[in-house]
Amino acid sequence: MLKAQARFHPWAMLSPSLGLLLVFVLVPLALAAWQSFFAWDLLTPAVPVGLGNFRALAESGALLGTAGRTLAFSALVVSGATVTGLALALLLDRPGALFAWVRSSIFAAYVVSWVAVALLWLWLLDGDVGIVGVSLRAFGLPRVGFLTEPALVVPTLAAVTTWKIAGYAMIVFQAGLRAIPASVLEAAALDGASGFVRLRSMTLPLLAPTTAFVATTSLVVSFQAFDVIRIMTQGGPAHASELFVYAIYEQFFMNLSVGRASALAVVFFALLLALSAAELRAFELRGRTRRERSLP
Amino acid sequence: MTRSTKARLAAVLAVAVGALWVGPCVWMLVTSLKPLAEIVRDPTALPTSFTLSAYREVFALVPVARQTLVTVFVAATIACVQIALALPAGYALAKLRFRGRRVAWMLVLSCLLVPEQVTFVPVFLMLAKAGLVNTLAALIVPFAASAFGIFLVRQALDAVPDELIEAARLDGASEGVIVYRILAPLVAPTLVAFGLVSFVFHYNDYFWPLVMTTDDSVRTLPLGVALLREPGTGVRWHVVMAGSVVLSLPMLALFAALQKHLLRGTGGD
Amino acid sequence: MTAVDSYRTLHPRSDVVNYTRHIVPSRVNRRSLLLALSGAPLPLASSCASPERRERRVVTLWYSYGGKNREVLTELVARFNRSQGDILVEATYQGDYYEALAKLRTAVAARVAPTLSHVVVEVLPYLAETRALEPLDEYPGARELGLVHSLAQAGAFASGDARPLYGIPFNRSIPVTYLNSELFEAERLDAPTTWAELVEAARRLTRRSAANPRWGFGVPISWWFWVAMTAQAGGELVGPGGETTFGGEAGAKALAFLQRLVHDERVMRLPAGRDYNAWQVTNQDFIAGRVAMTWMSTAFLRYIEENARFRVRTAPLPGDVRRAVPTGGTFFVMLASAPEPEKRAAWSFLRFMCATDQAVDWATRTGYLPVTDASVARLRDGGFFAKHPNDTVAQRDLANVLAWPWAPNLFRSQRDVLEPRLEEAVMKGRNAGALLREARELARRPW
Repeated sequence: MLKAQARFHPWAMLSPSLGLLLVFVLVPLALAAWQSFFAWDLLTPAVPVGLGNFRALAESGALLGTAGRTLAFSALVVSGATVTGLALALLLDRPGALFAWVRSSIFAAYVVSWVAVALLWLWLLDGDVGIVGVSLRAFGLPRVGFLTEPALVVPTLAAVTTWKIAGYAMIVFQAGLRAIPASVLEAAALDGASGFVRLRSMTLPLLAPTTAFVATTSLVVSFQAFDVIRIMTQGGPAHASELFVYAIYEQFFMNLSVGRASALAVVFFALLLALSAAELRAFELRGRTRRERSLP
Repeated sequence: MTRSTKARLAAVLAVAVGALWVGPCVWMLVTSLKPLAEIVRDPTALPTSFTLSAYREVFALVPVARQTLVTVFVAATIACVQIALALPAGYALAKLRFRGRRVAWMLVLSCLLVPEQVTFVPVFLMLAKAGLVNTLAALIVPFAASAFGIFLVRQALDAVPDELIEAARLDGASEGVIVYRILAPLVAPTLVAFGLVSFVFHYNDYFWPLVMTTDDSVRTLPLGVALLREPGTGVRWHVVMAGSVVLSLPMLALFAALQKHLLRGTGGD
Repeated sequence: MTAVDSYRTLHPRSDVVNYTRHIVPSRVNRRSLLLALSGAPLPLASSCASPERRERRVVTLWYSYGGKNREVLTELVARFNRSQGDILVEATYQGDYYEALAKLRTAVAARVAPTLSHVVVEVLPYLAETRALEPLDEYPGARELGLVHSLAQAGAFASGDARPLYGIPFNRSIPVTYLNSELFEAERLDAPTTWAELVEAARRLTRRSAANPRWGFGVPISWWFWVAMTAQAGGELVGPGGETTFGGEAGAKALAFLQRLVHDERVMRLPAGRDYNAWQVTNQDFIAGRVAMTWMSTAFLRYIEENARFRVRTAPLPGDVRRAVPTGGTFFVMLASAPEPEKRAAWSFLRFMCATDQAVDWATRTGYLPVTDASVARLRDGGFFAKHPNDTVAQRDLANVLAWPWAPNLFRSQRDVLEPRLEEAVMKGRNAGALLREARELARRPW
């Protein structure tokens, strides 16, 4: 920590960013919270309704349902991305053109647009003409409605999301793996530890910060899932894929209800804040214990 | 297991895994080249003839060149401005002691997880009052500051020893020089990685342009391609897939060109 | 020597040194790349000021359907633009009906609304009440358009002509039964005229096979078709006092009928997707021969006839207590926020679209109904209906059209309250009566 060279320096450096963040993130958030206490359709004057929007959402089960679905989806994506990313990093962190090429292909899926990925998987998973369904039926398996069975929709969307972000997770884990000094692992091998033991008791703990990073990023991505739902299922069938962000969009655009949408946004943000605070605290705790451990 | 068996097994698995990612993309390409009649007749068969008619349709229905230009311009501008603003902000939060530092940091953190779908209604109305709806400004300015960017820069600068900055100050460098000419190169991997992630994110952004644009003048490419999925009279999959290919090509080209930078930045090869 | 260099000398092994070694070569490249990107000059003007645009009055039209309809509309717009030199209509595609409607409302709120657009029937009362729409009665020739009564605002809404004119019919349709002629002939069946006959026909046509199943009947679980069934069962959407009743007993009966078809009779499979995706799936099923009979909009007639590999027959919807069909499709609307000269120019375009040539063109090339009496007459006299019996079916069934209530909360009831419950009821088999009671409660809320 250094002392600033002039009193105004820190604020001069921060004010453009803070100003923009205030105007375009925090103030709108506050405005959205304010709007949640009204019933408004943009074209007629707003009507104050107190907690009515929240009550309506809670009574219709929309609140609990959406929260539950979003958390389930998130859990699937975070665990999927973390495990897949690590597995891919371990498998493909080898020299050679083949491995480099496979790594690039996997990362390419991350780079392209959600629109392209959603359209592609919409086509592949189509119940009647999609190649996945046709192949399954060729093996004698029954017709599976990946996007039309309420129970299957969220796992399917989570799988598509994982497919897209696995490349990013893989690259991050690869960097993390490279950061582990080879000498440490070699010493363990010399001591007689098998590959699996090495992985579990040395590599994984050393990868903890990387894992935390991947988990946080996938959490953020999964909570913000919108494009894939809008293009593939529009929240259906029967609300089975209506996650928070999509629900907010629906309430505003389709139901003409700014108040209802804002109420959902408030709950969504509160949930996210709680989760991220927990994540940060867990990370800080881990960091603190690590630092404590490393002291002589 | 011997080393060579292990290597061979890894190679086999790698190919299988690669197929899982490459396969769908290949099928996307194949579908985009099939004529509509074939797709309707037997969607999963291999094509017997190739045609570029789907691509012709895409270019007829969507002003591709214009929309690509707009999208690239918007995404690039956002990324650059975000980096330019994140550096001093991250520096102030990481290195300078001042009253209100904790508050400022909390403010930045609290913005981290707010997606555009939560703020868009008030922002839209704000921009509408300023007469800026359906302009490039509406697509760029709301994203000019990135809490994530500031977060990353701060974390990166945390690792830089204070002595370096003290030494630079002793040399007579102003804070501006310190931030942009000395510290920026030091955290360049972070900046490049962040800049690329931001560029890709905003290039691919579908929701914000969906809300903020109303006609083709500033419409972005993801939006244009998504509109190809015209509901009602049967999805024309060959056109939709062709649109997806057209949408993905710029990003893939960028990726191919910058692969070295990006992977080096994250420690890859 | 700079401070950094001196630092490096003092701390040769530190991470900082390693960092800089990695990135120094590319520092210059990256900087210049960034600079180049941010400074890129772009010939972007948000209004392409072509000389043509500058001389003519511009009317913006936002439209919302793709495929064939889009082609025909853009052609008609081009024809209008060519036919005179004062007005230029710029048509922009905005997605499906609901997306476009959402954009329209937000655009009105942001004061960037277009001059013209078109909106679904059910939302017309709502938009009118918000004063977003321009009343059209006083525009030249408004009373002499010669619109088909049941398709115009006057006939489509209960006492629709007692109100100012807000919408000019554009693409209007009614639901009809589509039959796979060959399958019906093989089973020696005729088009059902009652619900009981429908069930019977569907039973005979359903073939349960793992590899190649066929369902006897298909209909999207959608508001429009449920309204048709409710009306056929004798119900009214809105009661005499203006309160939403959702058809009362008849509404529950209609919903229960759908559930029966799917779960008990098992002659109908659950259509996938929401909104128009569900309609699309139903169409694809029919064309592919997976479903022998569907209820679908007459709008898809051309598309289905062209893509099916069997002979397609249409028939009026069957009745229960009575015969009834709702109208669907959209009305052209003019936005009140547009400047006066633009509105006058837009009116010329609307009159152009109602002219017999265009009305005939639109109807014959799509499948939507001709909206003016003159165009109907021309088609009849020209033998079109004789040559296209399928088109005639819809034309004749106009006699059974059911008027929509002029209720501002009609659209909200549909989207927010009823449609989600329809899906739920059919997919999960919940009690129809209970769900509708719930819906009525919710519809009673003012917002």
